[in-house]
Amino acid sequence: MLDAERLQILTESAKYDVSCSSSGSKRANRKGGLGNASVGGICHSFTPDGRCISLLKILMSNDCLYDCEYCPNRRSADVRRASVTPEEICELTINFYMRNYIEGLFLSSAVFGTPNRTMELLTDTVIKLRKLYNFNGYIHLKGIPNADDALIMRAAKYVDRMSFNVELPSEKSLKLLAPQKTKEGLLLPMKKLRAAELYDKENKARGGKVIPAGQTTQMIIGASPESDGQILRLTEALYRRIGLKRVYYSSYVPVVSSPKLPTIGAGLLREHRLYQADWLIRFYGFDVNEICGEGENLSSEFDPKCHWALRNMHLFPVEINTAPLETLLRVPGIGARGAYRITEARKYGALDFDNLAKMRIILKRAKHFITCKGKFYGSESANAVTAALMLDGVRERQEQISMFSSPSVALSALSGEI
Amino acid sequence: MTYYLVDGSEENFYTAVFDAYKDNDCIITSERNVQLGLGFEVKDVITDGEKAKRVKTKLNALDRGAEEDVSLLLRSDSALKESVAFDYIKLIIANRGAVRSMLANPTVIEMTTLRTRVFGEAHRMKGLLRFMENANGVLYAPYSPDNDITEILALHFAARFSGKQFVIHDVKRKIAAMFDGEEIVMTGAGDAEIYLSEYESYFQNLWKQYYNSVNIASRPHPKQMRGSMPVRYWKFLPEKK
Repeated sequence: MLDAERLQILTESAKYDVSCSSSGSKRANRKGGLGNASVGGICHSFTPDGRCISLLKILMSNDCLYDCEYCPNRRSADVRRASVTPEEICELTINFYMRNYIEGLFLSSAVFGTPNRTMELLTDTVIKLRKLYNFNGYIHLKGIPNADDALIMRAAKYVDRMSFNVELPSEKSLKLLAPQKTKEGLLLPMKKLRAAELYDKENKARGGKVIPAGQTTQMIIGASPESDGQILRLTEALYRRIGLKRVYYSSYVPVVSSPKLPTIGAGLLREHRLYQADWLIRFYGFDVNEICGEGENLSSEFDPKCHWALRNMHLFPVEINTAPLETLLRVPGIGARGAYRITEARKYGALDFDNLAKMRIILKRAKHFITCKGKFYGSESANAVTAALMLDGVRERQEQISMFSSPSVALSALSGEI
Repeated sequence: MTYYLVDGSEENFYTAVFDAYKDNDCIITSERNVQLGLGFEVKDVITDGEKAKRVKTKLNALDRGAEEDVSLLLRSDSALKESVAFDYIKLIIANRGAVRSMLANPTVIEMTTLRTRVFGEAHRMKGLLRFMENANGVLYAPYSPDNDITEILALHFAARFSGKQFVIHDVKRKIAAMFDGEEIVMTGAGDAEIYLSEYESYFQNLWKQYYNSVNIASRPHPKQMRGSMPVRYWKFLPEKK
């Protein structure tokens, strides 16, 4: 059976993978089997860094063939190495799941032996878990770059979600920092998986669908010189062309010293701003060109929506009782849920400022950009608005900025969307 | 003013709605220690299946989701839960249809607030409930929720643990849901003496190890942790003991 020391090594090696969501799949419980998947996802605990634990996040091995500069498990690093057997993973998953510690398994691995050998062992593990242990809970499997397509497709039939990490935002940086990985090696399997997803969708496959919860990816921010504009353009392409469910950003922390890497971390605010921009692209109908120019970085003073609004003051204020949903979504301080609630409530009668407050729409920022029944409650001049929002921004930055500190993200963390 | 005193069950509440419907000066409540003044009268509501059925039939005809809303409201720990549910039913009847999306209406705001609290805690507990395995392989989960959500949780876990036996024990309300692998039975339950399986402490320790290892210590954010996992729930979490 697995001992605490190996669990510690293999968890600490896996913890920098940000993804821990358990949403997007509604896998059913088979009779006599253990588990099902809850489509909204469920968080089971929260660690002192504010992140949720939804899945048992573990590596099969941290003994890696590759020598990626930024990685604590790289070939040339002097760290404790450990590995576990498929049976040990299965036993631990079943026992944690039964006690309701976790929603499922997030299995990844360093590349040991060959990419194919590694992918095979990962696949064997999830098949064993599904078939022998009759486990119907959530499984997120990391794909191993450069493994055979056949192996990846085989695994995709048994898991809920798969992910290949693009690691760095450009091919150039990948060559410099992760010389054994190539852009094609990472993007091709993602495209193949996407094709398989679409095939299932077109043929209305019932049961046995490949990766019902789709694909995600992750990139490190600040280890290489790309601007936020470049990063967000890559993000938008990944969402629109490969249909990814999520792109995760991981702010670079200098755990490894190397002449090719910066000596200071990228800071959590930058990561936070990227997530805010990411949300605008996915849920708020923004185009990346509206948010950030190609060579530019996001503003640290204002969140991306505020920043956009301040540059487009001629579009405001908008009347809360008549503005279409797309317009409400662009008002700073009004989120997707708030905008939807306003459109529902106003069907029954015009809303005034007091109504909005009672409906718990946060008006601190929004008041500068809206009118209620023609009345305006914000600051008159554009300069005064900028000043008020800037003060707000200072307060926001004084709080300890972490990746989950925006209310919308916190809410999704709660519901397991992250 | 008349107090219609109900016993906490749904049938009893719907009976009270039938009795009190035309009474414009009344309160339905399950609070036993109401302060009575001059001109106050207390009526103990006696469950009448026929009356309850008539209210429910009417309600379902107007809004098929209303019974579910009321069921969630009545699980709330708010002293006003019956009042809010009664107002909500009256509003549906006056409006001759669903009112759920009248999000600026004060009654709907109150209803939504209470319903969200119950539903939200049930969702949260789907994650935070912790089972222990006893010597006979039965899973036992003690907890102390704000709202009466044991039945909701039992349904959730029965759907995922087919064929497994479990007990979910609300130690505050002294009630438990028992699942024998096929059916859920609700029952009263005081203190329980549990003989744990020999593996229980081994897996609890591994879980604590996991919890400590997966944390990124260089990015502390305890406020976020406590916001998502309030301290009052910690005494039942092995990783927080």
